[in-house]
Amino acid sequence: MSDLERTMAASASGMAAQAARIRLTTENIANADTPGYRRKTVSFEETFDRTRDTRAVATGPVELDRSELERIYDPGNPLAGADGSYLGSNVDLVIEIADAREANRSYEANLKMFDQARQMASSLLGLLRR
Amino acid sequence: MDIKATLASQLYSQVQAVAKPVPQDAPVRNAGEAFRTAATDFMETLRQGEETAKLGLAGRADPQAVVEALAATELAVQTAVAVRDKVVEAYQEILRMPV
Repeated sequence: MSDLERTMAASASGMAAQAARIRLTTENIANADTPGYRRKTVSFEETFDRTRDTRAVATGPVELDRSELERIYDPGNPLAGADGSYLGSNVDLVIEIADAREANRSYEANLKMFDQARQMASSLLGLLRR
Repeated sequence: MDIKATLASQLYSQVQAVAKPVPQDAPVRNAGEAFRTAATDFMETLRQGEETAKLGLAGRADPQAVVEALAATELAVQTAVAVRDKVVEAYQEILRMPV
Protein backbone atom coordinates (compact mmCIF):
# COMPACT_ATOMS: atom_id res chain seq x y z
CA MET A 1 0.00 0.00 0.00
CA SER A 2 1.53 3.25 -1.08
CA ASP A 3 1.73 6.42 0.99
CA LEU A 4 -0.91 8.12 -1.11
CA GLU A 5 -3.36 5.26 -0.56
CA ARG A 6 -2.64 5.42 3.17
CA THR A 7 -3.32 9.15 3.04
CA MET A 8 -6.68 8.44 1.50
CA ALA A 9 -7.48 5.82 4.13
CA ALA A 10 -6.53 8.20 6.95
CA SER A 11 -8.61 11.07 5.60
CA ALA A 12 -11.56 8.72 5.06
CA SER A 13 -11.32 7.71 8.72
CA GLY A 14 -11.22 11.40 9.67
CA MET A 15 -14.36 12.00 7.68
CA ALA A 16 -16.07 9.05 9.35
CA ALA A 17 -15.09 10.38 12.80
CA GLN A 18 -16.42 13.85 12.03
CA ALA A 19 -19.63 12.32 10.69
CA ALA A 20 -20.09 10.50 14.01
CA ARG A 21 -19.42 13.76 15.87
CA ILE A 22 -21.98 15.74 13.89
CA ARG A 23 -24.52 12.96 14.42
CA LEU A 24 -24.11 13.25 18.20
CA THR A 25 -24.33 17.05 18.00
CA THR A 26 -27.56 16.73 16.04
CA GLU A 27 -28.93 14.29 18.62
CA ASN A 28 -28.12 16.83 21.34
CA ILE A 29 -29.88 19.61 19.45
CA ALA A 30 -32.89 17.37 18.78
CA ASN A 31 -33.14 16.58 22.48
CA ALA A 32 -32.51 20.14 23.73
CA ASP A 33 -36.04 20.29 25.16
CA THR A 34 -36.18 16.72 26.51
CA PRO A 35 -36.50 16.78 30.32
CA GLY A 36 -33.57 15.09 32.06
CA TYR A 37 -31.49 14.71 28.85
CA ARG A 38 -27.72 14.97 29.24
CA ARG A 39 -25.71 16.05 26.23
CA LYS A 40 -23.51 13.40 24.61
CA THR A 41 -19.84 14.01 23.91
CA VAL A 42 -17.32 11.86 22.10
CA SER A 43 -13.53 11.82 22.14
CA PHE A 44 -11.20 10.96 19.27
CA GLU A 45 -8.46 8.34 19.44
CA GLU A 46 -5.58 7.44 17.16
CA THR A 47 -5.80 3.91 15.77
CA PHE A 48 -3.25 1.70 14.08
CA ASP A 49 -4.32 -0.74 11.38
CA ARG A 50 -1.58 -3.38 11.39
CA THR A 51 -2.62 -5.16 8.18
CA ARG A 52 -2.67 -1.98 6.12
CA ASP A 53 0.06 -0.15 8.13
CA THR A 54 -2.20 2.86 8.45
CA ARG A 55 -2.58 5.28 11.31
CA ALA A 56 -6.00 6.82 11.45
CA VAL A 57 -8.57 8.27 13.82
CA ALA A 58 -11.58 6.68 15.42
CA THR A 59 -14.22 7.88 17.82
CA GLY A 60 -13.94 6.70 21.39
CA PRO A 61 -16.81 5.76 23.69
CA VAL A 62 -19.77 8.15 23.89
CA GLU A 63 -19.88 9.94 27.23
CA LEU A 64 -22.57 11.97 28.93
CA ASP A 65 -21.94 15.52 30.07
CA ARG A 66 -22.13 15.45 33.87
CA SER A 67 -22.80 19.15 34.31
CA GLU A 68 -25.97 20.15 36.18
CA LEU A 69 -29.34 19.95 34.47
CA GLU A 70 -31.20 23.20 33.96
CA ARG A 71 -34.08 23.75 36.41
CA ILE A 72 -37.10 25.15 34.57
CA TYR A 73 -39.92 26.85 36.45
CA ASP A 74 -43.26 25.75 34.98
CA PRO A 75 -45.96 24.86 37.52
CA GLY A 76 -48.38 23.78 34.77
CA ASN A 77 -46.05 21.03 33.56
CA PRO A 78 -47.04 17.49 34.69
CA LEU A 79 -43.37 16.79 35.55
CA ALA A 80 -43.15 19.79 37.90
CA GLY A 81 -42.49 19.00 41.56
CA ALA A 82 -43.71 20.73 44.72
CA ASP A 83 -41.72 23.89 43.97
CA GLY A 84 -43.30 24.18 40.51
CA SER A 85 -40.14 23.39 38.56
CA TYR A 86 -38.64 20.40 36.72
CA LEU A 87 -35.21 19.43 35.41
CA GLY A 88 -34.64 20.14 31.73
CA SER A 89 -31.64 19.11 29.61
CA ASN A 90 -28.10 20.47 29.95
CA VAL A 91 -27.80 21.15 26.21
CA ASP A 92 -26.52 24.62 25.34
CA LEU A 93 -27.52 25.37 21.77
CA VAL A 94 -24.66 27.83 21.27
CA ILE A 95 -22.09 25.17 22.19
CA GLU A 96 -23.78 22.60 19.96
CA ILE A 97 -23.86 24.92 16.96
CA ALA A 98 -20.20 25.84 17.47
CA ASP A 99 -19.39 22.12 17.68
CA ALA A 100 -21.35 21.41 14.50
CA ARG A 101 -19.52 24.20 12.69
CA GLU A 102 -16.17 22.80 13.81
CA ALA A 103 -17.11 19.27 12.69
CA ASN A 104 -18.14 20.69 9.34
CA ARG A 105 -14.81 22.47 8.87
CA SER A 106 -12.79 19.40 9.91
CA TYR A 107 -14.80 17.28 7.49
CA GLU A 108 -14.03 19.71 4.69
CA ALA A 109 -10.33 19.65 5.59
CA ASN A 110 -10.27 15.85 5.42
CA LEU A 111 -12.17 15.91 2.16
CA LYS A 112 -9.64 18.34 0.72
CA MET A 113 -6.73 16.11 1.76
CA PHE A 114 -8.45 13.07 0.22
CA ASP A 115 -8.91 14.90 -3.06
CA GLN A 116 -5.34 16.17 -2.92
CA ALA A 117 -3.89 12.67 -2.50
CA ARG A 118 -6.09 11.33 -5.30
CA GLN A 119 -5.03 14.08 -7.66
CA MET A 120 -1.35 13.54 -6.82
CA ALA A 121 -1.59 9.80 -7.53
CA SER A 122 -3.57 10.42 -10.70
CA SER A 123 -1.17 12.99 -12.10
CA LEU A 124 1.78 10.70 -11.34
CA LEU A 125 0.16 7.99 -13.46
CA GLY A 126 -0.52 10.61 -16.11
CA LEU A 127 3.23 10.77 -16.68
CA LEU A 128 3.16 7.22 -18.06
CA ARG A 129 0.54 8.14 -20.63
CA ARG A 130 2.66 10.66 -22.51
CA MET B 1 7.23 -31.35 39.73
CA ASP B 2 10.69 -32.69 38.99
CA ILE B 3 12.34 -31.36 35.87
CA LYS B 4 15.69 -32.82 34.86
CA ALA B 5 18.24 -30.41 33.45
CA THR B 6 19.10 -32.78 30.58
CA LEU B 7 15.46 -33.17 29.60
CA ALA B 8 14.99 -29.42 29.69
CA SER B 9 18.00 -28.78 27.48
CA GLN B 10 16.89 -31.50 25.06
CA LEU B 11 13.41 -29.95 24.77
CA TYR B 12 14.96 -26.54 24.35
CA SER B 13 17.07 -27.70 21.41
CA GLN B 14 13.92 -29.17 19.80
CA VAL B 15 12.13 -25.87 20.20
CA GLN B 16 14.92 -24.10 18.41
CA ALA B 17 14.54 -26.43 15.43
CA VAL B 18 10.77 -25.87 15.28
CA ALA B 19 10.83 -22.12 15.85
CA LYS B 20 13.51 -21.41 13.28
CA PRO B 21 12.77 -18.10 11.60
CA VAL B 22 11.46 -18.61 8.09
CA PRO B 23 12.45 -15.82 5.73
CA GLN B 24 9.26 -14.04 4.74
CA ASP B 25 8.81 -11.50 1.97
CA ALA B 26 11.68 -13.05 0.08
CA PRO B 27 13.04 -10.63 -2.51
CA VAL B 28 11.37 -10.99 -5.86
CA ARG B 29 13.78 -12.69 -8.23
CA ASN B 30 12.53 -12.11 -11.74
CA ALA B 31 10.19 -9.82 -13.62
CA GLY B 32 7.52 -12.53 -14.05
CA GLU B 33 7.27 -12.95 -10.31
CA ALA B 34 6.98 -9.20 -9.83
CA PHE B 35 4.21 -8.99 -12.43
CA ARG B 36 2.36 -11.83 -10.74
CA THR B 37 2.55 -10.07 -7.37
CA ALA B 38 1.34 -6.82 -8.91
CA ALA B 39 -1.54 -8.57 -10.66
CA THR B 40 -2.58 -10.32 -7.44
CA ASP B 41 -2.52 -7.02 -5.54
CA PHE B 42 -4.55 -5.42 -8.30
CA MET B 43 -7.19 -8.14 -8.19
CA GLU B 44 -7.37 -7.94 -4.41
CA THR B 45 -7.91 -4.15 -4.55
CA LEU B 46 -10.62 -4.60 -7.18
CA ARG B 47 -12.32 -7.30 -5.14
CA GLN B 48 -12.30 -5.16 -1.99
CA GLY B 49 -13.67 -2.19 -3.92
CA GLU B 50 -16.55 -4.23 -5.29
CA GLU B 51 -17.27 -5.73 -1.88
CA THR B 52 -17.38 -2.32 -0.20
CA ALA B 53 -19.49 -0.84 -3.01
CA LYS B 54 -21.99 -3.67 -2.61
CA LEU B 55 -22.16 -3.12 1.15
CA GLY B 56 -22.56 0.61 0.55
CA LEU B 57 -25.47 0.09 -1.83
CA ALA B 58 -27.11 -2.10 0.79
CA GLY B 59 -26.54 0.67 3.32
CA ARG B 60 -24.24 -1.40 5.51
CA ALA B 61 -20.96 0.46 4.91
CA ASP B 62 -20.46 4.14 5.62
CA PRO B 63 -20.15 6.36 2.53
CA GLN B 64 -16.59 7.40 3.40
CA ALA B 65 -15.42 3.78 3.20
CA VAL B 66 -17.18 3.34 -0.14
CA VAL B 67 -15.56 6.45 -1.58
CA GLU B 68 -12.17 5.37 -0.28
CA ALA B 69 -12.46 1.86 -1.74
CA LEU B 70 -13.67 3.19 -5.08
CA ALA B 71 -10.83 5.73 -5.24
CA ALA B 72 -8.32 2.94 -4.52
CA THR B 73 -9.94 0.83 -7.25
CA GLU B 74 -9.79 3.72 -9.70
CA LEU B 75 -6.09 4.21 -9.00
CA ALA B 76 -5.39 0.50 -9.39
CA VAL B 77 -7.20 0.39 -12.73
CA GLN B 78 -5.37 3.51 -13.92
CA THR B 79 -2.05 1.92 -13.00
CA ALA B 80 -2.90 -1.33 -14.75
CA VAL B 81 -4.04 0.47 -17.91
CA ALA B 82 -0.94 2.66 -17.97
CA VAL B 83 1.38 -0.34 -17.60
CA ARG B 84 -0.51 -2.30 -20.27
CA ASP B 85 -0.30 0.63 -22.67
CA LYS B 86 3.45 0.80 -22.12
CA VAL B 87 3.84 -2.93 -22.73
CA VAL B 88 1.77 -2.82 -25.94
CA GLU B 89 3.73 0.20 -27.11
CA ALA B 90 7.02 -1.60 -26.56
CA TYR B 91 5.72 -4.65 -28.44
CA GLN B 92 4.65 -2.54 -31.41
CA GLU B 93 8.02 -0.85 -31.35
CA ILE B 94 9.68 -4.27 -31.73
CA LEU B 95 7.30 -5.24 -34.57
CA ARG B 96 8.22 -2.10 -36.48
CA MET B 97 11.90 -2.96 -36.31
CA PRO B 98 13.38 -3.32 -39.84
CA VAL B 99 14.63 -6.86 -40.45
